[in-house]
Amino acid sequence: MNCAPSDLKDYLFGELPEAGRRQVEQHLAACERCREEFERLKLTQSALAALREEEPPRRIAFVSDKVFEPRWWRRLWQPSPRWAFASALVLGAAIVAHGFLTGMTPPPPPAQAPVNFEARVAEEVARRLPAAVDRAVAEREARWLRQVAELEAKWDFERRADVAAFQEQVNYLKKRLDVATIQLARAEGAQQP
Amino acid sequence: MIFREVEDRDLIGRARRGDVDAFNLLVSRWERRIYNYLYRLAGNREDAMDLAQEVFLKAYLNLGKLDDVSRFAPWLFRIAHNEAYSMLRRNRPETELTEPAPEFSGPRMLPVEVGLAVERAMGRLSADQKEAVLLKVYQGFKFEEMAEILGCPVSTVKSRLYTALDLLKDALAPANTRGVE
Repeated sequence: MNCAPSDLKDYLFGELPEAGRRQVEQHLAACERCREEFERLKLTQSALAALREEEPPRRIAFVSDKVFEPRWWRRLWQPSPRWAFASALVLGAAIVAHGFLTGMTPPPPPAQAPVNFEARVAEEVARRLPAAVDRAVAEREARWLRQVAELEAKWDFERRADVAAFQEQVNYLKKRLDVATIQLARAEGAQQP
Repeated sequence: MIFREVEDRDLIGRARRGDVDAFNLLVSRWERRIYNYLYRLAGNREDAMDLAQEVFLKAYLNLGKLDDVSRFAPWLFRIAHNEAYSMLRRNRPETELTEPAPEFSGPRMLPVEVGLAVERAMGRLSADQKEAVLLKVYQGFKFEEMAEILGCPVSTVKSRLYTALDLLKDALAPANTRGVE
């Protein structure tokens, strides 16, 4: 195997198959330059791990809202193994019944006009939707106002905390600078006869 | 990880049938990861929180369109990626960096200083490079999953990640030699 920086990175991220991993390990054992490069990559990965994850400032949660819930017919219509099995059972029974009954019964009367299910659904939706939307909008506006007030308070608190943390960091660095300056002065003094 | 996927699968099934409590439980399992991903992309907490809420709302409304439940994580991060980029496109002039941050100096860096150095180094990457690092290093996605989230070939994902890694390696060289062991 020749020196291949991309293979080293694949190896670092555990994205190589077994054979590729072995090849890289053998190459690392033999090539000092690649070994040093791999060490630098590992150090970079360790440094990246120093970036801490944060907790979200508040929890996300949803309330049951009729507007967004699937309608009963959609829930009923949702495909599932139970429905598939039931459909297959009904179809099988219909085929068997048809085999027995064909020719034994007089032709059925013309079917009645099917109930216009879609139109009834649309009518019911049109009747209920405006009120539900108004209610949802009002609730959402109220939630927004509450959230804005909470955010303002939180933002103010966080800004103060950030300023304090920054000041603390600056003070710390100043102290380190002072210490370094003193050490430098002492070292220079010690060197002079 | 396997248990987590099994539990997610159950919660997704219940949420698809309209169980809001199940969806809330699912949110509580993913909100920290999604929030942190969005926070690093957007650069501030408020935007990240707003985006996270939008992400989970869209996830709830489109849960029925998720074909393969085992791909929930890439699917959710794909929504987050789209939301973040919509916002970044809107706010581009304000989010671009105007001046480089100063380097830290000192004989040895504390963990907090390394963290700050990493933040600065990440801030100098392009949005695409930064996102590749976030998805790989911090979220642990495989290349194929990253390609699914970002909507680009695996070769592009690797190219962005490896360029970013080289830039970070150079930018963090002082931290690497002094602060991290």
